Order: sequence, then C-alpha cells, then structure tokens
Amino acid sequence: MSTLNPTPTFKILYFASCATFTRLPFESLPAPLSLRDLFPTLEKRYPGMTKRVLESCAVTVNLEYVDLEDEEVTGKGTDGEGMVIKEGDEVALIPPVSSG
Amino acid sequence: MAEDPTNIDTEQKWPLDPEEYKRYGRQLIMPEIGLQGQLNLKSSSVLIVGVGGLGCPAAAYLAGAGVGKIGLVDGDTVEKSNLHRQILHSTATVGMSKVESAIKYLTSLNPTVKYVPHIAHVSTETTLDLFTPYDLVLDCTDTPASRYLISDTCVLLGKPLISASALRIDGQLMILNYPPLPPGNSKGGPCYRCFFPKPPSPESVTSCGEGGILGPVVGVMGVLQALEAIKLICAGINSEEPVESRDRPILHIFSGRPGATSPFQFRAIPFRGRKSNCAVCSSFATITKESLTSGSLDYQKFCGILNPVTALRAEERVSVEDFAESISKPMTEVRSAKRTDSRKYTVVDVREKVQFELGNLPGSINIPYSELCHVTRSDNVSMSAQKESSKDGQPTPAWVTTLSKTSPDASIYVICRLGNDSQLAVQKMKEYGLGKGSERFIADIKGGFSSWREMVDPTFPDY
Repeated sequence: MSTLNPTPTFKILYFASCATFTRLPFESLPAPLSLRDLFPTLEKRYPGMTKRVLESCAVTVNLEYVDLEDEEVTGKGTDGEGMVIKEGDEVALIPPVSSG
Repeated sequence: MAEDPTNIDTEQKWPLDPEEYKRYGRQLIMPEIGLQGQLNLKSSSVLIVGVGGLGCPAAAYLAGAGVGKIGLVDGDTVEKSNLHRQILHSTATVGMSKVESAIKYLTSLNPTVKYVPHIAHVSTETTLDLFTPYDLVLDCTDTPASRYLISDTCVLLGKPLISASALRIDGQLMILNYPPLPPGNSKGGPCYRCFFPKPPSPESVTSCGEGGILGPVVGVMGVLQALEAIKLICAGINSEEPVESRDRPILHIFSGRPGATSPFQFRAIPFRGRKSNCAVCSSFATITKESLTSGSLDYQKFCGILNPVTALRAEERVSVEDFAESISKPMTEVRSAKRTDSRKYTVVDVREKVQFELGNLPGSINIPYSELCHVTRSDNVSMSAQKESSKDGQPTPAWVTTLSKTSPDASIYVICRLGNDSQLAVQKMKEYGLGKGSERFIADIKGGFSSWREMVDPTFPDY
C-alpha cells in the first residue's frame, strides 16, 4: 500500500499570482525532480501556467535563490543533469508583485 | 517683538536648532541615530514616487524623522476609495491632487522639512532630470512598467532604491542598487531586473482596484520603506563598502496570512549580487541614459499591454438596457412564484464570491471567473491531490454540470463587474458545449455592473 510506503515528496510554495493560478498556497510534489523539469512538470499540472506566471517568477530552493538561466543550475549544455530538488526540500515560486 | 538674542548664539554653539533637539529627541538618544545620524537625515533628500498606500506612510515617517528635503511624485487625484489606506489624504481632500493633499498633511506634521511637489506620472523623458537632485528614491508606484523605469533610472544615476509593493494581504520589499556602484561593477547591489528579469504577464497583473488591498498590509510595507531609508541615510548613502561585507541583498516577503507560529509571516529570501547579464547594471548592459531619453525604450510595451477584451461577436452581446427589458417581466413572476426552474433565462454572475455577496441580481447564480478558468489535469503528478477525477483524465467541471441542468432553451446571460470576464466566460461556456450548437442563446452583458449602475439601477453598490 502506498500509505505504508509513501512516495518521497518536496513542498512547493506558491506566492501571489502563482497561488491565484493554482488556487493553492502550497502542495507536495514527487521528489526527486531535476530543477530543469520543474516548470514543465507544473505546466502539465496547470496548463498555461508557464506563460501566465512562471516565466516572471523568482525561484528559491530551501530559501536560496536559484537562477534557472544558469547552465550550472539546469545542467543544460553540460553533461550533468544540474541541480535536483530532493525529498523534503522546500521550493518557492515568487512572482513580482507590482501594485501598491 | 524684539529679536531673540539667544538665536544667533545657539546656531553657532550647537549643531542642531533648539527646536530640533526637542522634536527629534526620542530618536536622537538612540545610538543607531545620534547626532551624526540626525545631521545626515537633515542634509539628505529623498524622492518618493507614488503618494498612495505605500508613499503616504513612508512620507509621514520620513518627514517626522527630519529628512531635509522630500520630493513627492504623483499625477493622480485623491479618491474616496483611497482613504482606507492612504493615510495622508482625508475626506476633505478628495478631488485634490495627491501630491498637494500629502504636502498639506506633511507640512502640519513637520514644517521644517522642504517639500517639493512633482504633479505628474514618471516617464522616460522626465526621470533622469527628476531623480538627479535626490540622494535616495522610494518606489511606491503600482505598475510593472514604472517599477522597471524607476529601477533603471536609479542604476544609471547611481542612486539607491527602496522598492516595495503590496496586494491583498501580501507585500514585498527590496533594497536595490545598494551600494550604488556604476553598471558593470559587480560589487554594486542588484537592481529590480536582477530580481525579476522578465516582467509579469499583463494577464497576471492585478491592481489594488481589482484584487483589493488591506490598509495595514500596504501600510506595513510603506513603514518598512521609511525604516530602511532612515537606516541607509544614517549609515551613509554613498558608502562604497562592497556588498559582500554587508548583509546579502534580501527579498522580504510579508504575508498577512497566519502561519504555523505567528498570525502573520515575514520571509527573507537572500539574493546573490548583480545578475551577470543584467540589461542595465551588468557589464553587458544595453540600457543607457541615451537609450532612456531617446525614447527607444518602451516600458509599457516591455511589460505587455492588455488590450480591452473584444472576444465576442456583436450578436453574442446585449446592452444593459436590452437585458433589463428582457428580464423585467419574467423576473417579477419568478420572484413572486419562487419557481426558478420555469424561467426562460439564467443569469450567471461571474464575479468572485465576495463581490457577488456585496450585491447581486435576484435569481442570478454565481460562478466565479476563477472557477471557470481553473483547469487541473490529473496526471497523478501530485501526491497531495485530493481532487476527484474521471478515468480519462479530464473531469467535467462542476459549473458545467450545474448549467447543463438548466432548461436547454433558456438563454444564459453572463454579467461581471466591467464586462471583460463576462465575454471570456461566454467563450468558455460555448467551448463546453453549453450552447448546444447554436440552439441556446448565450450572451454577455456589455459593460457589466458598471453600465448597469449607470443606465439601469444607480443604487447598485459601487465598490
């Protein structure tokens, strides 16, 4: 039974317009997940989310900012698979809030 | 009256006026401020861009603390809907320019500060000249375009920037371009573009007018801007101490929502320095003073322009007057007989539930636009997903089921606040086959409740 052997997960926090889009403040997703697969995974779950909110988001893993354009982070163009989100990690998606 | 003989003496004898020792006494005795800090404040100048929910509290505390010169920039006039959060304005100043209204209040608070009015919105033609005479800038505006423009200008002029924002019960705060070193110097502080290189999509941008804002939330963020400004001025604005030896740049996130251990939450997201390929502050910068003033940079375009929605054909839309006429008779019958199922039409109000509860049409049903748009695929990706799903992956949304149960020959009229969401909602309904070919008439009510109030029922709540 899956309840006896729960699948490992990480926690993802949705801020501002991300939370509006997902209608959740946070949820759990299966770990491990390569960081470069984060947006595609979310896009599958919430169609349209990449263009609407993800592209402008700051992304943090365990309260550390990660640059998704950085090749070392994503492993794009290198042999490695880049950074991996591990079980128990906390990922946050922070879109800019511009009103005031 | 004779001249006060002590006046000249005290000016020479003591660094501050006697009145200033009294006025600032409570902060002067703090080691964090002291005499030097107060003198720094007195000789400093701060530009506050936007005199709204953020700018009002920020300006009040900076004036109170004795900043020498405060510039205020805003092109708007005071509206009644501003008053629950924009604490410098009052019922008596509704209709006055925000800048003048603010200066009126600030002058009575502290007449020794020099206030400089700039009654206009910021634009690429004006920012360089406007910002130049000031030591420090506070971004208290409310659009993505102004945030990028203000940040770029501060980088190009070497001014530190304290940027804050708020929506609903959430806020953000950042200290940018500090130390304010020239573009290309990696020891300078990051700018707004380093944090958010890509602007938010225009569809995702919500204003306080649309999304709502709680006074104390935006107030907290504005007060924090003033606090950071005071600290920065007392520490010396033009300090060139490299960023590494200070606390790292931080994105502060405030949430008025209760957390596990507190009725509200602050999160601090440490940031690295300048982004190595930043368009304005890196050594690969493409934005210059020249490109700013030449008008080759279009910040509105960069942030995307949301065109007014014209999603439907003319025959899919009805005016509020025609709608009022077509519902007037059946509506009274329905109300007296309470037989909602025998109606020949259904009115769907797609405003969010809280707005629906502020006032609605009798017999209308509420299907919030956010519910209409919410699509989740059940790919078994989520471990926490508790939603039901059909075997083929695409569950029928509950609202479709609800509307399918209405009489198939009953027209559906869709109404919202302004007449944009209602058009998109009509499209969605048709996508789900509720139009039954074109058997059933589904239409949007042009201009929504805004027009309804104007043309039909002036008492309908205006919020």
